[in-house]
Amino acid sequence: MNKNGSARLSGQKIILNALLVVVLLWTLVPIGWMVLSSFKSAADVLSPTPLLTFKPTLANYASLFFGGNNLLSYIRSSILAAGISTIIATTLGCFAGYGLARSSFRGKHHLAFWIISTRMAPIAAVILPFFIGFTFLHLINTIWGLIIAYLSFNLPFAIWIMNAFFADLPPGIEEAARVDGATRFQAFWRVALPLTAPGIVTTAILCLVFSWNDYAFAVTFTGPGSQTLPVAASQLITQTGVNWGQLTAIGTVVALPMVIVGLAVRRYLVRGLTLGAVTGE
Amino acid sequence: MQSEATKYSGGERTGRWIWSFEGRMMLPALVILAAISILPLLYIIWMSFSNVTLLGGAGITSRWVGLGNWARMFSDGTVWSGWLTMVMYFVATVGLEMILGIAIALLIHEVVWGKNLAMSLILIPMFVAPVIVGLLGRFMVNSTYGLYSWVLSSTGIFTGNILGGKVSAFVAVVLMDVWEWAPLIALITLAGLVSIQPQVLEAARVDGANYLARLRHIVFPSISGIVIVALLIRSMDALRYFDIIWQVTGGGPANATKIIPLRLYETAFRFLHLGYAATIGLVMLAVSILVANLFTAILRQRGLAG
Repeated sequence: MNKNGSARLSGQKIILNALLVVVLLWTLVPIGWMVLSSFKSAADVLSPTPLLTFKPTLANYASLFFGGNNLLSYIRSSILAAGISTIIATTLGCFAGYGLARSSFRGKHHLAFWIISTRMAPIAAVILPFFIGFTFLHLINTIWGLIIAYLSFNLPFAIWIMNAFFADLPPGIEEAARVDGATRFQAFWRVALPLTAPGIVTTAILCLVFSWNDYAFAVTFTGPGSQTLPVAASQLITQTGVNWGQLTAIGTVVALPMVIVGLAVRRYLVRGLTLGAVTGE
Repeated sequence: MQSEATKYSGGERTGRWIWSFEGRMMLPALVILAAISILPLLYIIWMSFSNVTLLGGAGITSRWVGLGNWARMFSDGTVWSGWLTMVMYFVATVGLEMILGIAIALLIHEVVWGKNLAMSLILIPMFVAPVIVGLLGRFMVNSTYGLYSWVLSSTGIFTGNILGGKVSAFVAVVLMDVWEWAPLIALITLAGLVSIQPQVLEAARVDGANYLARLRHIVFPSISGIVIVALLIRSMDALRYFDIIWQVTGGGPANATKIIPLRLYETAFRFLHLGYAATIGLVMLAVSILVANLFTAILRQRGLAG
């Protein structure tokens, strides 16, 4: 390669890296600013010129956890609603996903379509019949109402993803177990299920993220005592003003765990988020 | 694959299938799914023909009004403008997310060092609850102490209240949505880029094809399927969520950002016209089923479903 060519190459490299820095800044500045602001005192948050250096304080977190509006009850509701819905969806999704992957009958694609269209139904539309139904069944302002609402998107999602993961397993593996005397269920439970462990973890984590991050269902169906973290965050905006310090702190509390668990299954994210349509790297 | 599956299930008729091993494995999930999807669907259809009113406590009354809600919807200017705003918002967000997402994927694919770390960092916004994205966005563009409005006004690009103007508020909510979801497109597209055989690209390079020619003749044709999947996945979710706008502008200023789900929610829970809201909801449902149909058609084409 001549001198000119390599000069052009390193010029390209500089441009590429500069563009990457721009993309990273666009992505990370709001997150960084949120975390930073959550450690600022009330006066520093409201400074008209942005402050990069300040005396960090835990006051925002302290008042969230030990102040007037006790965040712990919101955290409890969030964990219960998202957690129980995730466990139910993933468990039933494993069974049903396996059944779907291993069966073939006339109209199977109609069944598959019904399942996926349930997942894709607009939340604003789903809220209406759920609201009336929950009112009748006295499920308004209960964790169980929220769990059922979350199942409406988590269960079809789990069935689809697990179907994709099981469809990847050659049925021959289970056949071998059958020859050794295992029942169909044992072949599923002892052979197929352990082989899809990454799929199960991915499914569970994505279900958790979807339900933990929900706001529309939570704000409509819950009341005092069953409200979740996103509702608590929105309640910090009041007529009299916004406590941005506390708001950035609660934002950090809501976002951080999901970022951590989400990135933990980074390798399988493509598979999960495209509902099995695209295999990951 | 199909034939192996047939061998396993031991029966093709749907009626017999439900009692097979596979059918029984699916039964619990299907029963629950039916209860939380078919019943509500029937109910929302019935609601759209009724006047549903909430009384105190658990009381609900309803009165059959036939096609009244439907007739009203088609002559309701606010619903039409809600759909128009929705289409504008949809085209702006999903369009920008596709362009930016593909660009980011191409960029990361070219970068040699730190590819994985860069992609992981770029994915972070995707896991932040949309309601937090909205609240954080409000904080960033706040006219007195927002970081972004400070940057914009001290560089002289935009002074004034970003969420106060119709156009600037619309741009702001679009960019917040793009911030959260362009990473998803980048992630999916990158998976497609990685699967292109490096030898093919190298051969084209040796033949003297420059970057743009390689993009056009090799890269884009080989990732087009995956890009369409990304587009449809994003489209379905764009129809589902409305948390960001809800938090940032609530539909304002002067209805500039009042997309149809917000209109629906307001109709139901502020004006308490639940039956009328159900009518609007059914149309939204029909649109989303249309997109889901496209999605499964493409999956079947790729040999992945049904």
